[in-house]
Amino acid sequence: MELFFTQLTNGLAVGGIYALIALGYTMVYGVLKLINFAHGDLFTIGAYLGLTLLASLGLTGYVGTAGGLLFLALMVMGLVGIIGILLDRAAYKPLRNSPRLSAVVSALGASIVFSNTIMLVYGPSPKVYPQGLLPTHVFYLFGLPVPIMRIIILATSLFLMIGLYVFIQKTRTGTAIRAAAIDQGAARLMGINVDRVIMLVFFIGPALGGAAGLMVGLHYGQINFTMGWIYGLKAFTAAILGGIGNIPGAMVGGLLLGVIESMGAAYISNAWKDAIAFFVLILILIVRPTGLLGERVAEKI
Amino acid sequence: MSFSGKNIRNGIYAAVAVCWIAAPVFLSNYQTDVLNNIAIYALLGLSLNIILGYGGMFHMGHAAFFAIGAYTTAIINTSYGIPVLWLLPLSGITAGVFALVVARPIIHLRGDYLLIVTIGMVEIVRIALVNNIFGITGGPNGIFGIASPQVFGHPINGIVSPGHYFYLLTAFLAFTIAVFYLLEHSRYGRALKYLCSDSIAAEGSGIDTSGYKLSAFVIGAFWAGMVGNLYAGKITFISPESFSFWESVVMFMIVILGGAGSIPGVLLGAILIIGLPEFFQELQQYRLLIFGIALVAMMIFRPQGILPPKPHTYPVDKLDEKEVTL
Amino acid sequence: MKKILFMLIGVSLLFAGPVFSSDTIKIGLMCPLTGSWASEGKDMRQIVELLAGQVNEEGGLLGKQVEIVVADDGGDPRTAALAAQRLASRGIVGVIGTYGSSVTEASQNIYAATNTLQIANGSTSVRLTEKGLPYFFRTCPRDDEQGRVAVEAMLEKGYKRIAILHDSTTYARGLADEARTLLADADAQVVFFDALTPGEQDYTTILTQIRRDEPDVVFFTGYYPEAGMLLRQKMEMGLNVPFIGGDANNNPDLVKIAGNRAAKGFRFLSPPVPQDLPSPVAQDFLAAYIEKYGQAPGSIWAVLAGDGFRVLAKAIAETGSTETATLAAYLKNDLQAFPGLTGMINFDEKGDRIGDVYRVYEVDEEGNFILQM
Repeated sequence: MELFFTQLTNGLAVGGIYALIALGYTMVYGVLKLINFAHGDLFTIGAYLGLTLLASLGLTGYVGTAGGLLFLALMVMGLVGIIGILLDRAAYKPLRNSPRLSAVVSALGASIVFSNTIMLVYGPSPKVYPQGLLPTHVFYLFGLPVPIMRIIILATSLFLMIGLYVFIQKTRTGTAIRAAAIDQGAARLMGINVDRVIMLVFFIGPALGGAAGLMVGLHYGQINFTMGWIYGLKAFTAAILGGIGNIPGAMVGGLLLGVIESMGAAYISNAWKDAIAFFVLILILIVRPTGLLGERVAEKI
Repeated sequence: MSFSGKNIRNGIYAAVAVCWIAAPVFLSNYQTDVLNNIAIYALLGLSLNIILGYGGMFHMGHAAFFAIGAYTTAIINTSYGIPVLWLLPLSGITAGVFALVVARPIIHLRGDYLLIVTIGMVEIVRIALVNNIFGITGGPNGIFGIASPQVFGHPINGIVSPGHYFYLLTAFLAFTIAVFYLLEHSRYGRALKYLCSDSIAAEGSGIDTSGYKLSAFVIGAFWAGMVGNLYAGKITFISPESFSFWESVVMFMIVILGGAGSIPGVLLGAILIIGLPEFFQELQQYRLLIFGIALVAMMIFRPQGILPPKPHTYPVDKLDEKEVTL
Repeated sequence: MKKILFMLIGVSLLFAGPVFSSDTIKIGLMCPLTGSWASEGKDMRQIVELLAGQVNEEGGLLGKQVEIVVADDGGDPRTAALAAQRLASRGIVGVIGTYGSSVTEASQNIYAATNTLQIANGSTSVRLTEKGLPYFFRTCPRDDEQGRVAVEAMLEKGYKRIAILHDSTTYARGLADEARTLLADADAQVVFFDALTPGEQDYTTILTQIRRDEPDVVFFTGYYPEAGMLLRQKMEMGLNVPFIGGDANNNPDLVKIAGNRAAKGFRFLSPPVPQDLPSPVAQDFLAAYIEKYGQAPGSIWAVLAGDGFRVLAKAIAETGSTETATLAAYLKNDLQAFPGLTGMINFDEKGDRIGDVYRVYEVDEEGNFILQM
């Protein structure tokens, strides 16, 4: 039982990061019906930018304090968000009225460009964040050792997700995003500036991905230029699992995927871990063809 | 489409075919081998085109079928010594049967949900190969020592003489183009395209949509399995790394970039997606960056694909002379 | 229609190959310049180009300048097969490379078919030299040798319960299997044998599993980025089991990733790095490399590529020939105790490097790799 709970916390910590990245997929998908395959690389860019800022701004001294960390996070999120908007302008906007899969190939091309640019700028070896910035305290929950960073990561992810959910549900701008997601034409007629909404979505999604990249860098320490591909694929899986286009779905999907992976690894086999996760995904989709929280959309006629 | 336009187009196709067939005479082994790779991916692209282009199903796991065909050939050839080309149909059949079993429960999934399930399928297959499933796949080492195919008793060695293998692949490619051309213009092909563009209306016209989708899946998988056979015979060594998710992505890009549903488009897509990174070899570590930029640029330049299928036209003045069946 | 013509021209450009010239001696270098192992390929290229530059400054080989022809194998077999065809058709005397075993395997037959001498630098899989290919050599030792040394090192410390962790790559799985086979005959027990997924960040799940099985030692056969993460997370979890690693862990980045505290006490096997060899060859090389690139070479495998180049240059200079058969015969029969950057080099009939190559290293408090024996 102890093993079970330890593995549960392990799974939730990884799942929180999946969920944060999955939000970016799901938001862009919700409004544009576009699978942004370059999203994982935006996550990587967040991790690398965080490292650069940490080193160049001399923040290392202050970053231990909550204020410095917050400032760093905001800068990374802002920059990655801007890169997201530029990505949309360059690679997706010209394809707005084209077949959906054309934009997917454009996204794959953008992903190749991003990961190779990172390799050329930062070099192909893994990069390492400075150590000792974060508390390594381990505290005991019902007698189980839980590193405090686990809790902080999960809490930060949840905080960002809930913040986003409130923003989408309760604010005027959020309502505009939802309207554009349901019917762009009608939203336009209602006086909503859909182009602004798209820009906003391409800012928020990548910003959250960048935040996830920064968290991975700070916590795990090691980052490399290919990691976006693996995290991106996992996050896309999570978004689909929860029901793509659905924000609570991305959260549930991410956390669930993390837990499925760690449970599969713990009780069946580590080597088969990813296969088990995909198998469970397929089973869930056979039973619920639009994901756990996805709406059952009637066939459009 | 004017009569002369059609003539020019056929002329160009004929010229390309002649250039293609004559190419190995003028090219080095390396350059011929690039063409061999293009031919293999063109075949894979054409088989994926049945599912993705005609059937409109978002399928990003085609490498799974390719892998199953290649491993079928490798395992049976190295264990029982049965010549590679005899295994061509069997490789197709194992891949097709696998597709039938896997696709049945998932064929009703829509769009992106199907996409992730096919990605999951190709990852599960790769992980199974890496973990030496049933103890026959050789794990991460893969299988080596596969024999070269023989034609009329002459071994066609893809390594020593890429030029010979080139003609084997070209013959199969020509056969494939012919079969798929006929398929495209048959009642079956028309039904598939109809269902792709409007599945509700197709169902309303009495087309068994899930049956058609499933059969398209199986045909595409069958063909990819046969290509797996030719690939294994060419490289004589296969390992799970050759069948990663990225390979599926490459096939997917070939079809969409070239023009989904268009045979000439898919052929051109294979030339660009496989040929360009080789063309950029001189750029060394910058080559994939430039390739990525080119990919985005080409997609923006031709959003429907570079050579999209032309809409089928039925001349109005001849309508009453023909019996319209669909 | 114009567009089709335009594209035809573009495609035909693809085959406008470079012009051949025979006033240089061309040596091929096949290495991963893109993909996951790009860092290895970068080092390989820097080292071989540095050494070739030195040879050229001293007048080249046989009165000709040496030219290094680089091809990117992308770290995957299909790209490697093309890279091999490409190099083989460029009039090279021999080829150095490459890193991964399955990548080398995809290229081996092509070089064999074109009678090209190949000297691999990082491909340790046993079967590569068991095929009887006459012109295949490698400057790295084999997995069975490494497995033997690893098992000895573990048994010597009195470990009884051994966990083996690999990453499902050809190399790591091969080494793990070697070790497991050898341990079956020894007075020890393999209590854990499983694989992690390389490229991930969080290995706490697998470490929790290892903790449950209570091993005395963990033998990790994978690569340094994962080893660094494992060591770091092991410390954070308060798990105190010692780790011993395979030779893919010999990279200073390991300590950077793990941190000095977590890396302390980690042991791994490796051929000796130039820093640990007192020979003037190794020391001169190290000084020249640092002068040119500003830091010591990161990876031992890249240094082994340098040794591949040096033995080939030596063979060409000694035999006065660029014939593959002559060079191969020289390397197998006449090259004795050649002072390499990684110690003495001799080749046996199979093309394997002879001799006791492996050393055990331990990481000290400051994160330095200290040679143990």
